[in-house]
Amino acid sequence: MLIAPFIIIILQLGCCLYSIVFYLLNIKKGYYVIKFTHFAERRPNMISKKLAIEVLNEALATGADYAEIFYEDSHSYSLSIENGKVETSSSNIMNGVGLRLLRNNQCVYGYTNELTRKGLVSLAQSLRSSFHDERKITVTKLDYTNVKNRNPIKQSYDDISREEKIALVKEGLEEIQKRNDPRLVRYIGSFADNHRFVAIFNSKEKWFKRDTEFGRLAYMVIAADQNGFETAFNGPGCQSDISFFREKINVKELANKTADTALMMLTAKECPSGKMPVVIGNGWGGVLFHESCGHPLEASAIAKGLSCFTGKHGDMVASPLVSAVDDSTIPSAWGSIDIDDEGNPGTKRLLIKNGKLNDYMIDDFNGRRMNREGNGACRRQNYKFCPTSRMSNTYICNGKSTPEEIIKATKLGLYTVGFNGGSVDPTTGEFNFGCSEAYIIRDGKICEPVKGATLIGHGDEILKHIDMVGNDLELAQGMCGAGSGSIRTNVGQPTLRVSEITVGGRGGELK
Amino acid sequence: MKYDKFFALAKEAGIEEAELYIGESFSLSFSLFHGEVDKYSSNKSMTILARGIINGKFGTASCDSWSNAHAKFLVDAIVKNAKVIENTDPAFIFEGSKKYKKMSTFNKELANISIDEKMGKLHELEKLIKEGDPRIVEVAAVEYEESASSSTIMNSKGLKLQQKSNYFVYIGQAVAKQGEQTKSSYDLAFDNDFSKFDVKKLAEKVVKNTVDQLGGEPCESANYKTVLSPDVVAALLNAYVGNADAEEVQKQSSLFIGKLGQKVASKKITIEDKPLQRSVFCRWFDDEGVATYNKPIIKNGVLQTYLYNLTTAAKAGVETTANASRGGGKMGISPFFLALKPGKKSQEELFKEVGNGVYITDVSGLHAGLNPQSGNFSLQSTGFLIKDGKIDRGLDVVTVSGNLIKLFNDVLEVGSDVKVLPSDISCSSLLIKELVVSGK
Repeated sequence: MLIAPFIIIILQLGCCLYSIVFYLLNIKKGYYVIKFTHFAERRPNMISKKLAIEVLNEALATGADYAEIFYEDSHSYSLSIENGKVETSSSNIMNGVGLRLLRNNQCVYGYTNELTRKGLVSLAQSLRSSFHDERKITVTKLDYTNVKNRNPIKQSYDDISREEKIALVKEGLEEIQKRNDPRLVRYIGSFADNHRFVAIFNSKEKWFKRDTEFGRLAYMVIAADQNGFETAFNGPGCQSDISFFREKINVKELANKTADTALMMLTAKECPSGKMPVVIGNGWGGVLFHESCGHPLEASAIAKGLSCFTGKHGDMVASPLVSAVDDSTIPSAWGSIDIDDEGNPGTKRLLIKNGKLNDYMIDDFNGRRMNREGNGACRRQNYKFCPTSRMSNTYICNGKSTPEEIIKATKLGLYTVGFNGGSVDPTTGEFNFGCSEAYIIRDGKICEPVKGATLIGHGDEILKHIDMVGNDLELAQGMCGAGSGSIRTNVGQPTLRVSEITVGGRGGELK
Repeated sequence: MKYDKFFALAKEAGIEEAELYIGESFSLSFSLFHGEVDKYSSNKSMTILARGIINGKFGTASCDSWSNAHAKFLVDAIVKNAKVIENTDPAFIFEGSKKYKKMSTFNKELANISIDEKMGKLHELEKLIKEGDPRIVEVAAVEYEESASSSTIMNSKGLKLQQKSNYFVYIGQAVAKQGEQTKSSYDLAFDNDFSKFDVKKLAEKVVKNTVDQLGGEPCESANYKTVLSPDVVAALLNAYVGNADAEEVQKQSSLFIGKLGQKVASKKITIEDKPLQRSVFCRWFDDEGVATYNKPIIKNGVLQTYLYNLTTAAKAGVETTANASRGGGKMGISPFFLALKPGKKSQEELFKEVGNGVYITDVSGLHAGLNPQSGNFSLQSTGFLIKDGKIDRGLDVVTVSGNLIKLFNDVLEVGSDVKVLPSDISCSSLLIKELVVSGK
C-alpha cells in the first residue's frame, strides 16, 4: 500500500517522473484496467451556492487572497476481454470537494468526501489555520458563467449497456481469434468510459460547471515464439460518444494491426546504438515534443526558474522549421477542455513560432511569479489533487515535406513508428522515449524492423536538430503523469527528421 | 454496524458471497521554496472496493465515501458486472486462515510530533542542501509527507481483519550548474520513527547525487563490465520477479514458464518475499485476507515457487502463497517486500573487480524503455566510468540496454551494501559481466 503515495510525492517533485504513458505496459499489475457505472441518482451531494459562499468566507477569514471550491462527481466503467472471454467488468464512483487557498505565492490544499455543511466548514477552518492575517476578501454572491460546450455528447455512455460495449470490443478480438495463430498467446481488448461533472466556485464571485464524457478502446497483443515475447498496443480515445468508435475507428482493422505489429516484432533484430539520424513517425511520435519541450514549458517549471527554457522567451530554441502549439479548444479531442480547473476558458497557445520560444502553459497561481494571467492550462486528475499548469492537445505543426520525401532523403538511419511513452526532467531537459516499432532506413528505403530502441537527449538542443518536417500531422492519445496526477493529453506531430539523436539499443553500430 | 447495509442489500440481490475492502488514510504534506511554505495539504480519504460472487462469477465496484446510497450503488453494480463475466476461473471469498501472525508496526508517536518540529527539519534540509556545495544553484524543492492508513477486509463469511501502517518521508531536490551544464537530482529518507531521521545525511546525499553528475560526457558505445547501484537493481528486480506471477505463467506470457526448480539466475542470486519483516512494509494478511508468510522466490539462482492468489492456486492445484494484491477491477498478484540477499564484497571491492567499466547509479523511463513481457530494456541512465578500479568521470546522455533474464544470469557478485527503497524492496549493488552502453 505504500507504493502509491510515494509515487505521487515523487511526481509532485517533478524531478524525474514527468512522463507520458501510451502503452499501459504493466498488465502484470493490472494498471491497464481503468475503471467504472451508473450512480442511481445524479449528483446527490451537489453543494448549494449558499453553502459555497459560506465555505469560501470561512476559508478567507485568515487573509487568503483567493479561495476556490472544486466539486467533482464522476462515475466510470471499465471492462477487459482476454482471449475471447470477458474477464473484468468494474464500476466506480468518485464524489468529493477540493478546497484551495492562495496567499501571495503560498498554496494550501485539502479535500474531503464529507459533503455536508459540517464537513466542508471544518475543512475550510483546518486549511485557513496556515495563515494568520486579517480577512482581505468577503464573498457576497456567486455569478454563473456560461461556457460554450465544444465537446457535445449525443448519447451518454451511461445509457449504453455493458453488452453493447462488450460487442464493440469483441468485434476486433474475433479478427485475432479467427487467425488461429498459436504465436498470438494473449489478446486483450478493453473499453473504459468516464462521465465527470465538475463545479468550481471561487472568491472572484464566479461559478462554473463542466460536464464531460470520455471513452477509450484498446487492444493489446502478446505474441511469443521460441525466442521470447513481443507486445503491441493501440488505444484510441475521445471526448465524444460511442459513435466515434463505431464510425471513425475500424475496430477490426485496429485489432489486426495490433496483432500484425506484435508478430512482426518477433522477427525484429536488436536496434543499433549510437548517434544517428532518426525519422520519427507522425501521431505518437509527438512524444518527442511532449517530453523534450512541453513539460519544460509548463508554468510549474518556468515560474520558479526550474526549466531548461527559463529566460529564453524570444530565443531560437528550435529549428526555424518548427512551430508548436498547445490547443485545448479542438472539438471532441482527448485533451480538450472548455474551461480549466480555475474556471479560465481553454485556449490555443502558440508555444514555438518558427523556432522562436513564444508562449507557455500557465495557471493563475504559477502565473503570479511570472506576472501573467493563467491561459486556461490549469488541470488536475481529480479532486484529490491540487491543480497546476499542464498540457492539453500538444503538437508540432505541419511542414512542407511529404513523409516519402523525408524517408527518401535519408541515406542511413532509423525510422520509428510505434512508441511506448517517455519521461523528462524539466530542469535539465534530459528526456527519453521508448520505441515499440522501428525500422532501419537504407538508401532512402524502409528496410528491416528493429526492436528495443530508446531515444534520449536534451530538450533545449534536440529541436534545433529537426531538419525536415512533414505534412501529415496526426494526434495520438496518452495519459500524462505529473504534479497534479494523471490526465488525458494528446501528443502529435507530422513525420519529421532529427539529424542526430542518441539511440540506445543492443544491436551494435548502425551499418 | 456502518457497513451492515451493504451485506444485507447484497443478500437481497442474490449475491452469494460479498466482500468489502476499506482503505482509510490521513495524509499531511508541505513543501518549501526559497524558505517559504509554497504548498501545504492535509487530507482524509477513503477507498471502498467491493466484490461479490453470483453464479461463480465476480462482480466488482468501488467508491470513495460511504452512505446507504453508496451501498446500493455497489450492490447494483456488482450484480450487473457479474452478469457479463465469461471467464470461468474459480471465484473465492475467503473464510479466514487458521492462524495469523498479527504484527503492528504502526508508530503512534509520529502524530504527536508537532508540525513546527517537522517543518523545522524541512527548513534545515533546504539550508543544508543550498550550502552543501557552491555549484548548487537552486533547491528545486524540499518536501515532507506523512501518511497513516488502515486497510480493512470484511466479508459475508464473517472474516474481519484490519492492519494499520504509517510513515513519513523527507525529499530534497537540487539543481547544480557548471559552465553550460545543468544537473538535477533528488533523494529521500523514510521511516515511521521520527527520531531516526538524519537531516544532514539526507542533505549530503542530495548534494552528492547532484554535483557528482557535473562534468559528465557520453562514453563510447560498447559492452561494459558494469556495477548497478541498489536503486537500479530495485527497478529491474521488480520487473524480473513479475515473471513469478502465477497468472502470467498460466496465461503463457511469463519468462519463467516451466522453470520451477530450475536455474533462472546466477547462483549468487537469492530473492525472498518477506511480508512479515518488521518494517513499515509489514503485511500480515494479503488482499484476499490470507495470512502471509516469508518465502524464498529464487534461492541460489533456482526458482523455488510462483506467486499465487486463491484463484491461480486453485487452478494450479496448490496452496496460495498469500500474494493477492488488488489492481484496477481485478485481484492481481504481487510480492509484498522483496529482499535480495546481500553478498560479502563492498561496493569499492566490486569497482576493483571491474577494473575498467561503468557504474550505473540511476535509470529513467521504465514505463517506456522496459518491456516486462520480453524482459528487454533500454533505459536513459546516469552513472560513472570506472577506471583502474576507481570511479572516474560522470556519464551524460547514455542508455543501458539488456535483457532481464540474461542480466540476472550474468551476475558475478552481489554487494554487501543494502538499501531499503520505498518501492518495498531491499537491494544491494550487482556486478554484471557485461551490458550495452550507448553514448557517442
